[in-house]
Amino acid sequence: MKTLFIYMIVITTLISCNSKESVPIKLNVDTCEFCKMTISNGKFGAELITKKGRNYKFDDVACMIQFAKSNTVVPYDAFYVNDYLKDNTLIPAETAHFINGEKISSPMRGNFAAFSSVNEQMEFKKKLEAKTMTWSEVYDAYK
Amino acid sequence: MRKLIYILLFFCLISNAKTITVGRLYPVKTIKQAIALANDGDIIIVTQGVYKEENIIINKKIKFLGKNFPVLDGQNKAEVLSVAADSVVIKGFKIINSGHAALDDPCGIKVYDRNFVVIENNILDNNFFGIYLQNCKNAVVKNNTIKAYGKQEQLIGNGIHCWKSDNLQIIGNKISGHRDGIYFEFVTQSVIWRNISSYNIRYGLHFMFSNDDSYITNVFKGNGAGVAVMFTKNVKMFNNYFEENWGDSAYGLLLKEISDSYIFNNRFARNTSGIYMEGTSRIKVEKNIFEANGWGMKIQASCMENEIVNNNFLGNTFDISTNGSLVLNTFNSNYWDKYEGYDLNKDGFGDVPYHPLSLFSVLTENNPSSMILFRSFMITLLDKSEKVLPSITPDNFIDNKPLMKSLPL
Repeated sequence: MKTLFIYMIVITTLISCNSKESVPIKLNVDTCEFCKMTISNGKFGAELITKKGRNYKFDDVACMIQFAKSNTVVPYDAFYVNDYLKDNTLIPAETAHFINGEKISSPMRGNFAAFSSVNEQMEFKKKLEAKTMTWSEVYDAYK
Repeated sequence: MRKLIYILLFFCLISNAKTITVGRLYPVKTIKQAIALANDGDIIIVTQGVYKEENIIINKKIKFLGKNFPVLDGQNKAEVLSVAADSVVIKGFKIINSGHAALDDPCGIKVYDRNFVVIENNILDNNFFGIYLQNCKNAVVKNNTIKAYGKQEQLIGNGIHCWKSDNLQIIGNKISGHRDGIYFEFVTQSVIWRNISSYNIRYGLHFMFSNDDSYITNVFKGNGAGVAVMFTKNVKMFNNYFEENWGDSAYGLLLKEISDSYIFNNRFARNTSGIYMEGTSRIKVEKNIFEANGWGMKIQASCMENEIVNNNFLGNTFDISTNGSLVLNTFNSNYWDKYEGYDLNKDGFGDVPYHPLSLFSVLTENNPSSMILFRSFMITLLDKSEKVLPSITPDNFIDNKPLMKSLPL
């Protein structure tokens, strides 16, 4: 019984260590790892998680990509972006639907907005005169 | 004959400008009605009272004046005042309660693509954005009091937000409680003078991609993260106060990717870091006071060809810190209160160079948690030996002519 208990503790600890969950961004408290600005807009934030489970927060998708490409040594596990329509809610970047355009005006002028559904993406594409993009296109937009 | 016609024409023009008074006791009751009646060049005077008209659009060249601060209440629904004509003057209003919306940024006063607009002596209270100048030239924003009640974890706009503009004058405004007090993005050839920007959520003043501007004699106090000047060149920063910006990522002045600028005669007092520099080049920092900061200046390795001359460093925990070993910036003739050298030839300069970079500031830069050992006996001992024989700190990171007496600044 005792050994089982110890096993359980060990396993839960291991699991919790291994979590690749996104940590919510604290608006006006957390700073962008790349541009050093305080993150204040919950529509454009982004978060990156390394293989080791460390989180980096950004105020703009552009900052995250530039950070990721400037530090190629570190292996990355997951990318998260804020949903444009839900205040400060992170969604996985791979499944997000992006638009890009001048009228979006994100903090560092990456001007990407992410949506969780195609319908929303299309609606705002029209509204903001933007073009649609996939995550891999967004990721390749910076060197 | 022709002259006479011109003179006549001139008088015609003058007599044509009429004045419309709006108020409870006047025939014109609402502002919208008055604007509809007005022609270019007219004056609208709004008397005291509360006007709950949503989204008033000024689309004629008029002078729009308030008498005894009439209240324009947006009732938290929409933008209060929109300007869509050149040369409009807005003076003497109390503008309150614009809508709070995340997607379309409602403002107290917003100017759309116009020139020569003057916004003077207004009180703005509890608006999402205070004054927003979008694509404007030659506008004046003067002596306004702008206040909001933003909290952390909440989206709120900027006090004075200027975007893609040119030749602006932002003078004598008091701003508090917004996200950024004054925000410049793609704004050129403009001046920010004698403003007080305090207790804003993020920055007192925020520059992005705005070249050839100057800010002079402003007070930035107690803002979430101080002042940020980023991705910019040719900015002049004179006679400002940067005070009491405390916090993990708070800086008196954050410089990032900026070049060819001049920082003269400012006072950095009681900040976590007085100046933080990253990717900064060809900047002259002259005759400033750094007083009682955690770090006087944090200069990252990506900075080069900066000159730090004739400054007073007084009572900072660390005068300078850096994360690199390459020395690409020059320090000369500064006063350092931690200097322990002597001056035998009495020329006012210390005979031994000063090492502004202490061992411990390098250690904490690489390993922040080592801060716990600060002021311990061992660290003090190591610091002293490092001063004599630099090993971890770069030995050419020096001020060759440290001043013996502080400069009278």
